[in-house]
Amino acid sequence: MRVPDRIQTVLERLVGASATERILISTAALVLSILVGAVLVLVAGRMTTCTASEAVYYFGTGFCYDPVVVFDRLFLGALGDPFSGGWSPDGQFSVTLRETTLLLFTGLSVALAFRAGIFNIGTQGQMVVGGMATALLVLWASSLVSGVVGTFLLVPFGVLVGAVFGGLYGAIPGLLKAYADANEVITTIMLNFIATGITLYLVSGAFKDPNSAANQTVPLPDYAQFPTVLFGGRQDFSLVALAFGVVAVGALYYLLEHTAFGYDVRTSGIQPDAAEYGGVDAARTIVASLTLSGALGGVAGAMYVMMILGSFQSGVPSYGFDGITVSILAGNNPLGVGFAALLFGVLKSGTTVVQFATDVPPQLVGVLRGLIILFVAMPEFFRLVGKRVTDTGSKVVATDGGTPGGEADE
Amino acid sequence: MDRRTFVKATGVAGIAGLAGCSGGPTGGSDDDTETEASGGDGSGDSGGEETTTEPSDDGPAANIGMVYATGGLGDGSFNDQAQQGAFEAEEELGISFNEAQPDEVSQFSTFQQQFAGSSDPNYDLVCCIGFLQADALSETAADYPEQNFMLVDAAVDAANVDNYVFAEHEGSYLAGLMASLLTTRDFSAGAGSTAGDSTNVGFVGGVESDLIRKFEAGFVAGVNAGSDDVDVSTNYTGSFNDPAAGKEAATAMYNSGADIVYHAAGNTGTGVFQAAQEQERFAIGVDRDQSITKPSYADVILGSMVKRVDTAVYTSIESVVEGNFEGGDTIELGLDQEGVALVYGDQLGSEIPDEVADEVATAREDIIAGDIDVPSTPQ
Repeated sequence: MRVPDRIQTVLERLVGASATERILISTAALVLSILVGAVLVLVAGRMTTCTASEAVYYFGTGFCYDPVVVFDRLFLGALGDPFSGGWSPDGQFSVTLRETTLLLFTGLSVALAFRAGIFNIGTQGQMVVGGMATALLVLWASSLVSGVVGTFLLVPFGVLVGAVFGGLYGAIPGLLKAYADANEVITTIMLNFIATGITLYLVSGAFKDPNSAANQTVPLPDYAQFPTVLFGGRQDFSLVALAFGVVAVGALYYLLEHTAFGYDVRTSGIQPDAAEYGGVDAARTIVASLTLSGALGGVAGAMYVMMILGSFQSGVPSYGFDGITVSILAGNNPLGVGFAALLFGVLKSGTTVVQFATDVPPQLVGVLRGLIILFVAMPEFFRLVGKRVTDTGSKVVATDGGTPGGEADE
Repeated sequence: MDRRTFVKATGVAGIAGLAGCSGGPTGGSDDDTETEASGGDGSGDSGGEETTTEPSDDGPAANIGMVYATGGLGDGSFNDQAQQGAFEAEEELGISFNEAQPDEVSQFSTFQQQFAGSSDPNYDLVCCIGFLQADALSETAADYPEQNFMLVDAAVDAANVDNYVFAEHEGSYLAGLMASLLTTRDFSAGAGSTAGDSTNVGFVGGVESDLIRKFEAGFVAGVNAGSDDVDVSTNYTGSFNDPAAGKEAATAMYNSGADIVYHAAGNTGTGVFQAAQEQERFAIGVDRDQSITKPSYADVILGSMVKRVDTAVYTSIESVVEGNFEGGDTIELGLDQEGVALVYGDQLGSEIPDEVADEVATAREDIIAGDIDVPSTPQ
């Protein structure tokens, strides 16, 4: 009986951890994952061969890969070498922020659905649909206006188009769940395949750019893409898009914590039956939250098209699935998504720097990346589990009169 | 047990174990053993200055950057073939090369710029493998006008880019002709056989695109040149990395009477070979001599339409080393330049009837001479 008791105590302590403690736990987890990763790099360095001059020596033993360099490149390289004077506005830091921007939206998309108790795996598909719609409709609209005015009109229009189409695509599993009791995990996964298939069909047929060998739409003119502000032009990054993302983080936080709709969403997520008893229209909440979740995914697609590629191309990278990780890392808290997206962005962009700067195989860097995510996510994950297992009573059941936001963060 | 003793013992055992591993630096001379002051791996205060590798002798003849296509190394065809060219250049020309394996389209531009912007070392040439890199390269090439680039499978119009494209339809024509001639006769070799009364062959493509349709067009033209009675069934699986789909598609073709299936589908083609073995029919490989790269299927691979990406990479590296890199050219490597070729299978090649081989060889001459015009898009 002692072991379950101990687990119970640990879980209770995790659940009851204060904000400072949680930050300390996450930092400790990060350091620990780096230490474990360093050992892995050393071991891998003994399993391969290299010349003596390429090796590094620790404890009198030669290793082919140097963990210090690997982690230095993974983190400092992703930030564009801020300490060694090599920082340039078109450097790697822009790539990091570019990835962060996209992950912000997909992360928020998943987080919102999670808070409503819905596991939206369909963010990827919603992103693909939103991106495709943006690429086509903005291309059509770009013939009507041009120049600076064009940018002011077309960029918000494109984001709106992405949101509308992503939202509509997200509404499908919402309606199916609310009115036909279809499991959203299954429907969203299936809809991902459908989205990929349909867009591939369209982009390799009717809407294909005749001048390109790739399956892509006709590229958008420059004035119909996110404008470069201050830095990042060469790396396809725009501060405007990041600003959109930051606003979205704040807006979603406000929506969830300070509005009646947010209250409906949160209570449905925690205890659907009680929420319905309390007067929440369950079906409407499901449809609305999945639609909004899909809209955020669709905006990510619009960003991908209007900031990164300048056209829609088949084979959209898996930002939508990464969004699930980002959301779990953030404990499904919109504010946390900001930090989690940045960490994930650093890791994604750092991977390319490591690959460029060292001989470490990309697969090994992927393992290190996974370790970091796993270690940082686990405490939060156990906190979420602990919340369900331990019965702390007073915490979960927030009432109307309770201080919103305050301690009831999840 | 005392916890501290335990940790110490584990540490010592771990280090000893690592030292015992077979790998690690080779070459003996441990004179330059700069044992790190910090015994661990935590603090990064010593920064990124660790990699002070001394240049060996007088340095490499050229520094080459390789940016591969998204399939990555180990695909057994396209990227590995490109790497082969870099290895050859390393051996024969004394160059050194650094590689990057992007896994999504947006990383092409990142890696291209990293190579182009690097000053330590300064890269003399950046090789971009695969047509999907064309869009990124057209921007990167304009941003770095002093940097030399080469691009495989597509053309970017810039003064510092040499483009290499292949006449895949010409090589595929020969594959089609061979298939057509063999399916109309009773032929058996290795683990497969054809039925003379069934006149059917198949084509399995990866993702449908202009490039892969070029393979199809050449193949169909070759089949029709061999005999008017032979039908070609075509299937695009939608992926270059889905052997199960390849097997399914090929099995359906074999079951409906096809004797020989040609694939242009990367790793999906592995499934085509599996199906051929199960149905005791034949297959034709692509990109490399697949009877050698996939030896377990050598008993059903009649031949392979090789695409010498390694030649393209080697040629352009050679031009940089010799100082006559032009830039702004598009070089088409066809049958004439041996950029594409039909090579017979390692195991089955010797069993292919002479009259078939003769006819294929004649067709090759005719294409080179311009007497046969092979279409590059399906009719």
